[in-house]
Amino acid sequence: MRSVSTDQPGAGQATVGIPHEGERVSVDHAFGISEHAEDGLLRVAVRGEVDVATAPTLREHLYDAVDRSSGVVVVDLSAVTFIDSTALGVLIGAQERSRDHGTQLRIILNEARIVKIFEITGLTELFSIFPTVAEAVAP
Amino acid sequence: MSESVELTIPVQSDLVVLARLTAVTVASRAGFDVEELENLRLAVDELCVSIVNGSSAGRLNLTFVSGDGSVEVDCALDGPTSPPADTDDIYGEHDLSVRILDALVDEHGEDMGDGRRRVWLRKRSIRHEGS
Repeated sequence: MRSVSTDQPGAGQATVGIPHEGERVSVDHAFGISEHAEDGLLRVAVRGEVDVATAPTLREHLYDAVDRSSGVVVVDLSAVTFIDSTALGVLIGAQERSRDHGTQLRIILNEARIVKIFEITGLTELFSIFPTVAEAVAP
Repeated sequence: MSESVELTIPVQSDLVVLARLTAVTVASRAGFDVEELENLRLAVDELCVSIVNGSSAGRLNLTFVSGDGSVEVDCALDGPTSPPADTDDIYGEHDLSVRILDALVDEHGEDMGDGRRRVWLRKRSIRHEGS
């Protein structure tokens, strides 16, 4: 996916993704989602701050990915810089949806601040969590 | 040095970021370190989310008070609200929010004083504990 970064004075950076065929991108200031189909699984990569404002967008993309998947959906949170309970609720909902569809949700998590939030809330027990893409996509 | 900052925002999810930014700014001036700032940023977000998710209109009135190595954040809603649903789901958003606040701040609570829903937290900088 080609990316173009633009600087908005006083508002930080916003990144616009120009999707190639098979990719879907949604951007909202510092927050972005990209999707990649690789080796029979879908990887949804999230970046930036996932909070009460951006969680609905994540929900829309993630639920759609789960519905389209016939196997594994990998949610890559390695570029997430902030996550709150609203966003965690979206992930829990996606997990439940994937179980209903007979698919599997895997999460990539390696940023210490974000890992801590999963540990505080007990969600490390609920999700299949991997520190790298390679480990998450391994059969 | 004691400092008080007030922020009033409409109940809109995309404006909660202003509350996070203000909290970090006030706490930074009070001497909080990087990790404490991150913890407070999330805790203040959870305070606001607990009200934003139960309201569709009105204004959030936030007060940030720093002094003696601690920061107190008070968030009151001027507008209609409904209390969070009481469920047995340990992974419900309200329970997650409470767990986050329990872990990241020293004290937090909520009440319905003067007919307004109010949530608050208090966090002390580790460097100032015992001083």
